[in-house]
Amino acid sequence: MGKKTIRSIPQERTSIPTQDPAVRVGNFDEVTLGYREVDALNESERCLVCPNPECVPACPVNIDIPGFITRIAAKDFRGAYDILTDSTLLPAICGRVCPQEDQCEGVCPVGDKLKPVAIGRLERWVGDTAIHEHWDNTPYIEPNGLRVGIIGSGPAGMACAADMAKAGCDVTIYEALHKAGGVLRYGITEFRLPNGVLDAELENLTRLGVRIECNMLAGRLFTVEQMLDELGFDAVFIGTGAGYPSFMGIGGESLNGVLSANELLTRCNLMGATEFPKYDTPLGLGKRVAVIGSGNTAMDALRVSLRAGAEQVYCIYRRTREESPAREEEIEHAEEEGIQFEWLTLPVEILDDGENNVRAMRCVRMELGEPDDSGRRRPIPIEGSDFEFAIDTVVYAIGTNANPIIGQTSKIELNKWGYIQTDEHFATSMAGVYAGGDIVTGAATVILAMGTGREAARSMKAYLGIRDSETVYQAPQTGSDSKLFGIGLEERTFTRVRLG
Amino acid sequence: MSDTKYLFKRDQIWWVKVAVPRPLRDSLGCDLRRSLQTRDLKTAQTARQAVVEEFRSKIRQAREQRAAATACSTSVDPPPGTGYEVVTRKDFSDVTFLLEVSAPMLARAAQPGQFVIVISHQRGERVPLTIADFDRVAGTITLVIQAVGKSTREMQQRCQAGSRLYSVAGPMGFPSHLDTKKVVCVGGGLGVAPIFPQLRAFKQSGAYVIGVVGFRNRQLIFWEDRFRQYCDELIICTDDGSVGIKGRVTLGVEAALEKHPDVDRVVAIGPPIMMKACAETTRPYKVETIVSMNPIVVDGTGMCGGCRVIVGDETKFACVDGPEFDGHKVDFDDLMNRLGRFKQQESQAMDAWKTAAGAK
Repeated sequence: MGKKTIRSIPQERTSIPTQDPAVRVGNFDEVTLGYREVDALNESERCLVCPNPECVPACPVNIDIPGFITRIAAKDFRGAYDILTDSTLLPAICGRVCPQEDQCEGVCPVGDKLKPVAIGRLERWVGDTAIHEHWDNTPYIEPNGLRVGIIGSGPAGMACAADMAKAGCDVTIYEALHKAGGVLRYGITEFRLPNGVLDAELENLTRLGVRIECNMLAGRLFTVEQMLDELGFDAVFIGTGAGYPSFMGIGGESLNGVLSANELLTRCNLMGATEFPKYDTPLGLGKRVAVIGSGNTAMDALRVSLRAGAEQVYCIYRRTREESPAREEEIEHAEEEGIQFEWLTLPVEILDDGENNVRAMRCVRMELGEPDDSGRRRPIPIEGSDFEFAIDTVVYAIGTNANPIIGQTSKIELNKWGYIQTDEHFATSMAGVYAGGDIVTGAATVILAMGTGREAARSMKAYLGIRDSETVYQAPQTGSDSKLFGIGLEERTFTRVRLG
Repeated sequence: MSDTKYLFKRDQIWWVKVAVPRPLRDSLGCDLRRSLQTRDLKTAQTARQAVVEEFRSKIRQAREQRAAATACSTSVDPPPGTGYEVVTRKDFSDVTFLLEVSAPMLARAAQPGQFVIVISHQRGERVPLTIADFDRVAGTITLVIQAVGKSTREMQQRCQAGSRLYSVAGPMGFPSHLDTKKVVCVGGGLGVAPIFPQLRAFKQSGAYVIGVVGFRNRQLIFWEDRFRQYCDELIICTDDGSVGIKGRVTLGVEAALEKHPDVDRVVAIGPPIMMKACAETTRPYKVETIVSMNPIVVDGTGMCGGCRVIVGDETKFACVDGPEFDGHKVDFDDLMNRLGRFKQQESQAMDAWKTAAGAK
């Protein structure tokens, strides 16, 4: 076979089957159904395997992307999984929720002429196959007697926990809610990330020896200082996230029927409110729902509202679709499902019906002016364009702030917005305490949180004096004689070795 | 002619065979079959009907059994080996009951003024409850619960000594400030129990403590001895005047403030309407008044914003900024409106629960 060129590869990006919009608005099943093996093989052919791949540095956790795609093309799916799990703990999750168009797929040279290689879909396919086939890459771990405490079981905490566990530490994750997963559990909806996938990925974590303790409100139940002094942890990682929702401060926000997207999603995803009264938590969503904001959380809130029985669902955003921070795919899906977008619209007041319920929202139309600090064109209200919008539920999805609990209860240094102050290696002002994820970076993506969690794990290892080496997995045993020099191959007697 | 539905031939004898639906194959096998003991197809065809019917009813039975079995196995109790054990239970009246729950870490960390979130079973909702007491040695926390809604009434029914709660998380919120010399602690309704640990902490920190507790009548009074033990003065108010002052706790507060002009703080815990009345009573005296907010909470960790309350001109989250705020600044009307947010759903849940309980 000759060298692949842009002309010789399949020109069309392999499409992914999705549920029909008319059907999927009536259920919480996953929207995109995922590749089949043939699709994955076909798509893997499209990778040019660049000698100096640009996608690898564009990935926050530096997955060897051409490496795993080559393994898929060679039908060595297990090999592809091994390469993925060297860098990411959660391929099935990242393949679903990463904004690949801004990361790996955004720099893919195939994308210059054609559509870029569908790296995310391939990653998801490998992750799903692994779950289906019950593969797990549990390396040989030699306990080193060091104990690491992790606050928060979200993506940052999970990534840090996995790396520290693989390095031989005794890792405990403390989660304040009654179920593990953090934002992956309460925030991202069932139809984008099924709970079964999350459970499978958490299962991998426990297989590494990580203990996950729920109902543990670190900070209040014990402080970070106590974790080091009394609970006997040698190092602590803080990944409490940025979950504190913002409101706009306009009139009528304390009316019944005004809630944060976090509340809506938590009620649905974590508490089962869509099945009220079988589950005890009510949802209390109206028939005409307006979601303010246009990020990924807003898209989730919009689409959940539709599935939870709202008849009309509006997205209110003060800029246009081009400036919208949500993933293109999410907006497309929302449009297909019948979400109505009101671009260039700013709410100025929420109006009541006399009984403390929402009756309508007063909005103004906007136009775009000069670019502001963020490089996006600044929206300016058009005078006299006020109008009333009849709705009964308002959902705020305009961003979140740092969770305040750790800052309130420990002497750790915060920045002026309440996020934890760290150096470039994610070390905080307290020796042995590291932080990562949204509580450091501000609201960001799952993969970025994982990236910071892994980086923090690296500096934690340096602090604890653990050699940071690549992990080597046991080779699959195929031969009939499962003995090597008289020692059973089942006995994993070799330890991690340094490569390269 | 050759209608051989459900029929097959073995050694020239006709048999009936009915396939078993996949989920039932564990109990019934892949199919049900029986010999018709005839070589003649016509006879077999006529005899077939009865046998098929019999097999079908057998399958129906198995299906019902299975449904009943799964209904049992999807019990909402916490999975074995998890959860938080109820050590003791005590009933103060037909709506008020006390639970002592084993939670050693919580008992060690709990401070007066903080609350926990309790989920009684796997499909339950997160119920915020103020910690009424804690025993650091025995490793237990005490909760006093008023059975008013579906979740609390269900807890009243389920939570016997030895049973387990699915989740108890906390302690949430800031502990109370104890820097005071002379304090009036007011508890009414569901606030009587939560005021106790604060009152005790004030006493232990060296303050002069005046307790004011309100009950409907003599029969509903509880913990009087405990209050007496830690109060320098205890004023009991009852609605019917059967004990102490006849009337609301605000009368007791007024009496205390008149008698002691040097009181430097009033702490009031109870239903919003009572806390509002207390705040209004103390306003002319210009005494710092602390109230404990009890809004609707989902997570209790500062994530949902459901518990936002208006304090002065700021919006605060009761779970992470409170739960205690300056009673003279809190917008109680807003709090009461927001507490009524799920009124319709609450009655719906209650009806559904009553119907289900009736069916049992």
